[in-house]
Amino acid sequence: MHELSIFWLRAAAALYSVGLLHAILTVLRRSAPLFGPAIGAFRVGVILHLVSIVELGVSVGHLPVDNFYESASVCAFLIALVFLFVHWRYQFASLGVFLFPLVFVLTLVGATEIPVAGWQNPRVRDAWLLVHVLLILLGYAALLLTAVASVFYLVQERHLKKKQPRAFFDRLPPLGTLDNLITRSMGLAFAFITLGVIAASTWAFVESGTRWIRQAKIGIAFLTWGVCLGMVFLRTSAGWRGRKAALLSVFALGLGAVTWAAHVGLRSLLTR
Amino acid sequence: MRLLVTGVNHKTAPVEVRERLAFDQTALGAALRALMKRPGVVEAVILSTCNRVEVTAAIEEDCQADGMLEAFLAEARGFDRQRIEPHLYRHEGREAIRHIFRVAASLDSMMVGEPQILGQFKAAYAAAKAEGTLSGFLETVLTRAFCVAKRVRTETEIGQSAVSVSYAAVELAREIFGTLAGKRVMIVGAGKMSELAARHLRRAGATHMLVTNRTRERAEEMARLFEAHILEYDRFKAALSEMDIVITSSAAPHYLLRKDEMRRVIEARRNRPMFLIDIGVPRNVEPAVNELDNVFLYDIDDLARVVDSNVQARHKEAEEGEAIIAEEVERLMERLSARAVAPVIVSLQEQLEQLRCAELERVRGRLGQLTPQQEEAIEALTRGIMNKIAHGPIAELRKNAGRPNGIPVVDMIRRVFRLE
Repeated sequence: MHELSIFWLRAAAALYSVGLLHAILTVLRRSAPLFGPAIGAFRVGVILHLVSIVELGVSVGHLPVDNFYESASVCAFLIALVFLFVHWRYQFASLGVFLFPLVFVLTLVGATEIPVAGWQNPRVRDAWLLVHVLLILLGYAALLLTAVASVFYLVQERHLKKKQPRAFFDRLPPLGTLDNLITRSMGLAFAFITLGVIAASTWAFVESGTRWIRQAKIGIAFLTWGVCLGMVFLRTSAGWRGRKAALLSVFALGLGAVTWAAHVGLRSLLTR
Repeated sequence: MRLLVTGVNHKTAPVEVRERLAFDQTALGAALRALMKRPGVVEAVILSTCNRVEVTAAIEEDCQADGMLEAFLAEARGFDRQRIEPHLYRHEGREAIRHIFRVAASLDSMMVGEPQILGQFKAAYAAAKAEGTLSGFLETVLTRAFCVAKRVRTETEIGQSAVSVSYAAVELAREIFGTLAGKRVMIVGAGKMSELAARHLRRAGATHMLVTNRTRERAEEMARLFEAHILEYDRFKAALSEMDIVITSSAAPHYLLRKDEMRRVIEARRNRPMFLIDIGVPRNVEPAVNELDNVFLYDIDDLARVVDSNVQARHKEAEEGEAIIAEEVERLMERLSARAVAPVIVSLQEQLEQLRCAELERVRGRLGQLTPQQEEAIEALTRGIMNKIAHGPIAELRKNAGRPNGIPVVDMIRRVFRLE
């Protein structure tokens, strides 16, 4: 019974991943070509999610929030319901950029309650880990570019506001160019870090079963991803630019550095 | 060959004098022909622009040319010479070359770094060329001047920044948006200044334009100019959130746009930057609007300050331009001087060759019948001696050609070898 609930939950996560793809494409291309399929898949995902929760609830005889995984699953389900209501009532589609990835990641975490069999091939295990590291490093590089461009944007904006433009104009690109650079690099950072987090979660799930989620460094990593998600959402929905956007991107970069520092021993995992 | 320049410009003569001395394009040919008839004039060019009228001529070395160009200018334009005399500047030789270089490079222009003067100079050159009044010396100087002007423009930033209020607005728009292609512009109040700014923006690529004005006729007139759409004056605020650039020059006695309104506009734009150019007096936009994030408000004084700063920057760049010109003048003087001693060298070589042939002829009878090998050996021997004798003086001539104190050396070699 319990396994069946997890099966439905994993099926829901697979459907939610279309929403994640939509969010990444929206940030990178500044258009929403996948919103229709994403919202359709999301609705079916919510139904399967409900089936999973009901099955588990019937099995345990109460609302299944006994541990972290079950709570994450219920939380993701409630967020998904709220989003569907807001979208139905207010047509607030851009909220999906924030909520689709969030629901997907929470559901993914919830679906790792029951460990799977260990690695069949150690090469796959090592390659998977290296892909995760590569994705995260690419994400941090893009995040660094976002932060630097945001600070340049801020400086250029201040000069234009002060109306004494001559000194710096020749050395910094126009605001429009910086804005494009920030949007693109932020989109790439979000895409790489999200894929890196997914790669890391699945790797850790297969490697360590259910123990990995309780580690502090995992919490920091998820926080970094959450800040990136918030940054992307505020950019695409509220158009955050200037001081607030620069501060947020520098904060995200700082969190990224802390996460990196917390994971420096990862290399040793490659040799058992 | 001597090089002379005389004329008037915006610094030395008021517009009343300049406009009377100016040559019409159609009269330029006849004026050049008249100038070439003056004694000693070998080459000539006349540059006539709204800020400058000047006559440049290459004349023979021994020609008495004092006041000749001034007299020509007065006579050609029917002006009393005494009246223009105080306004004239004159340059000769090295200073004339330096002056021509400075004019071509726009260092002597009213707005330092403006690009038109080079085109006007090239047109004057083409006119002189068409009349056949350029043939060597002056032509070399002028073509070099064009290269120097290009070098100054490339190696300094003398022409980089905007020096008019309307163009400064466009430059600022570029600093905000990067490219202006596809940007949406609204013109509120169809005044002359806003028309100028809109013209520059249109040239820079802004294609979507809306015009609104209290008087519809004037709005229609401007809309025709820029293929713009007309917007009713009482409805323009509703369209603000769609606009990237707004130019206001309305005669309204109160602010048309206030901070609270613009806050709502920028929120509706989801913080996409917006550039407000307020050239109205009294101002049309509340100054506090500039405090809003992503809104950039420049009034007429702000734009004037940008222009001032750019003008100062140009003057600073002009100092670098002067250094380039000093270097180029030296280089050209060396080339011209080397060219000047070329006839002396040729004359020396001919003199020595004649001497060799004459001496060979004189002793040939006493040598008797010579074999071809012996003839060849004597030719080589005498030529070698002459070349060795000529080597020293020729090297000295070349060495001293470009030096200011080299003339006595050249004269001495002429005297020693009895050269004409």
